[in-house]
Amino acid sequence: MTAALLVATALMGLAGTAAGAIAPVRFRIALSSALTIAACALGFVVGAEVLHSGHAAVVHTTTLMPLASFSLALDRFGALFVVITAVVGICAMIFRFGYDGQGLASRTASSILPLFVTSLLLVPAASNVTTFLFLWELMAITSLLLVLTDHARRSEVQVAGQWYAVMTQLGAAALILGLVLLATRSGSQSFAVIAVRSAHLPAWVRSTAFVLAVVGFGSKAGAVPLHVWLPRAHPEAPGPVSALMSAAMVNLGVYGIVRVGMGLLSGGPAWWWLLVMGLGALSAMFGSLHSATSKDLKRLLAYSTTDNVGLMLLGVGASGLFADTGHRALALLALVAALLHVVFHAVFKGSLFLSASSVHQAAGSTDLDQLGGLLRRMPVSGPIFLVGGLAIAALPPFCGFVSEWLLLQSMLHGLPSGDVAIAVAMPIGVGVLALTGGLTAFTFTKAIGIGLLGLPRTQDAERAGEVGRPMWIGAGLLAVLCLVFGVAPFLVIPSVVDAAGAVPGLHLAGALTRGWNVALPGVPGMLAPGLVAIGLVGFGGLVALGRHLVQQRPVRLTEAWGCGRELQTARMEYTATSFGEPLTRVFEDVLSPARDVDVSHLAESRYYTEAAVIHTTIDDAFERRVYRPADRMLVRWGAVARRVPNGSVHRYLAFGLVALIVVLVVLA
Amino acid sequence: MDAGSCNGCEIEIASIFSPTYDAERFGIRLEASPRHCDGLLVTGPVTRNMAAPLRKTFDAVPQPRVVVAVGDCARDCGVFRGAYGVEGAVSDVVPVDLEIPGCPPDPAAIVRALRGLAGT
Ligand code: SF4
Repeated sequence: MTAALLVATALMGLAGTAAGAIAPVRFRIALSSALTIAACALGFVVGAEVLHSGHAAVVHTTTLMPLASFSLALDRFGALFVVITAVVGICAMIFRFGYDGQGLASRTASSILPLFVTSLLLVPAASNVTTFLFLWELMAITSLLLVLTDHARRSEVQVAGQWYAVMTQLGAAALILGLVLLATRSGSQSFAVIAVRSAHLPAWVRSTAFVLAVVGFGSKAGAVPLHVWLPRAHPEAPGPVSALMSAAMVNLGVYGIVRVGMGLLSGGPAWWWLLVMGLGALSAMFGSLHSATSKDLKRLLAYSTTDNVGLMLLGVGASGLFADTGHRALALLALVAALLHVVFHAVFKGSLFLSASSVHQAAGSTDLDQLGGLLRRMPVSGPIFLVGGLAIAALPPFCGFVSEWLLLQSMLHGLPSGDVAIAVAMPIGVGVLALTGGLTAFTFTKAIGIGLLGLPRTQDAERAGEVGRPMWIGAGLLAVLCLVFGVAPFLVIPSVVDAAGAVPGLHLAGALTRGWNVALPGVPGMLAPGLVAIGLVGFGGLVALGRHLVQQRPVRLTEAWGCGRELQTARMEYTATSFGEPLTRVFEDVLSPARDVDVSHLAESRYYTEAAVIHTTIDDAFERRVYRPADRMLVRWGAVARRVPNGSVHRYLAFGLVALIVVLVVLA
Repeated sequence: MDAGSCNGCEIEIASIFSPTYDAERFGIRLEASPRHCDGLLVTGPVTRNMAAPLRKTFDAVPQPRVVVAVGDCARDCGVFRGAYGVEGAVSDVVPVDLEIPGCPPDPAAIVRALRGLAGT
């Protein structure tokens, strides 16, 4: 049954592609979106059924691709990711009904988008190397085309596309090498067979394959230092696409690392997992620092994706480390925390990206310094962004709180284990989690305080109004989930535990939920999100009651204090740049901000200034110190290499002769 | 708040927080924002440019509040009476609760007056 539904999912997605390509303009968006929603719904059913029953959905055919079989086998672990993608996909497609991205309405984009969603849905089901790489590349290329949607209108899109193309293909190359190495060495390309035989492979093969997989999947997940494409591509992609990329696609990077490291290779030495934790810690700190100092809403969200991927990798690394040292219960706990963060990140980042696109459509900009006063002007989308922001800042009663709490607990409980690697890694992990938690709260205070509150800073922001109903329904569904999962995490935790339990070698000493509460089996500690929520509501009620009782006199309303200035305008408001300035200064070595002051003088006298303009930019340190020099070096080598073939036929003949001699010598 | 003084009064006000007078031991503190204040110390005659900011600052102080006019200028424009840029004394612009005479008033007098207000 599930197998048939899985096939139906793929077919429905292809039907969406066909509809996008041939349907008349009038029905194009409606038809392709509706079919994509149907594909996601089918995917959701398959995923939920597999999660529930534990029976894998298997599809196997030898006729679809030449020389290799096409085979899908969706187990519980993959099903979790299918379900996440399906939920985000449905919301993004609903959102698309109201989205007026001109580019996204084109024939190309309308036919590519369903294909992208379908590939996202199918990647976690792939069960042999060829199928996996085929679907993975399909996902990479369709997402690249979607990032390029608006390339004709804005030149930044082209640059973003180039970065994305290079990084994703480098990652894919690493993946191909790693997976092919595993397949040839174990004599089969089926994941199930590799998983059995990999234990007998030499250590260097296993380690090489794992490191290559971490590089390949890490670049897709946006882990530092392979993240450089992410803060460029995610903001430039049209709204629904950026939501899908940030909330569904990066997850697959985490999926891949777990699938290869824990599934195919069944765990490995401590240094693998320390590597993963290191990448995670670096991503979390770097991402949260950059998102705290970004002033563009979508760029800020993109960096925060890097930050959250870092937290997921921290959990995955901790889990591998625990498993390696024999702490099975803790290993599962850490993996559950990481996967739970994947789920919740998808939910809140989806709603944040979608509502940021609503802001873009309503106010014409995502530059925080051009926004302001939107909470009142967008009475639905504003609160949706607010909910997403509270959830990502890990404040109860929203969902981010639960997963970060679990992650923290799993790392803290590893401390008494007595293992040196754990004793060193876990406190660092806890520190990183604390630092990024603070920075995330800072970031979203900025995004909400500067972007949504205050006075509008431009006329466009002044005229902004609420967006169309499909848009806020799409984003709102996810925001509602933020609250529901935050209050009642027991709705998802059992499924996540089942999914994590599908990873070989992990099992749980008891249930992770007890009634409404989250309990930690084998270790002391419990969380009652329901009670926290009730407490918060009760506390809010008490405050309101207290105010009501105390406030006998009428409230006196006065102007906001502005140093007694006569004229208060939006230009005197705090800006996102100045809000992040202290942090930029403290972390000057990492962020290396550049400042440009342009002063123009009056024509009559150079002693008087006509206008002064200050530009501040913050560069990505990895881009500046690693990628740009590498790029320059390649260009230089290219220039040298160009001198070798100079167009002379004699020289080419000589090359041919020399090559022939070399080949003969080598063969002889 | 300096509404147009010659800064003589400010110097004396500043010196009440010096080690010699140390007004803080009586619970008297200088605050940067009117939002955190119980009272408003105004010095100098109110110039035309400062009249509106004075009203706004007065508005910004939470109730209950007191206004203290420090120095002769604040009380009745002092030596600046009749000058072209002067709007009037402090009491012409906002209601004044306490006046401290002197040009400038002695720090001890200021401390005494403020202690009287605070009851310490
Ligand atoms: S009272 Fe005297 S010291 Fe104070 S502001 Fe007026 S002139 Fe200056």
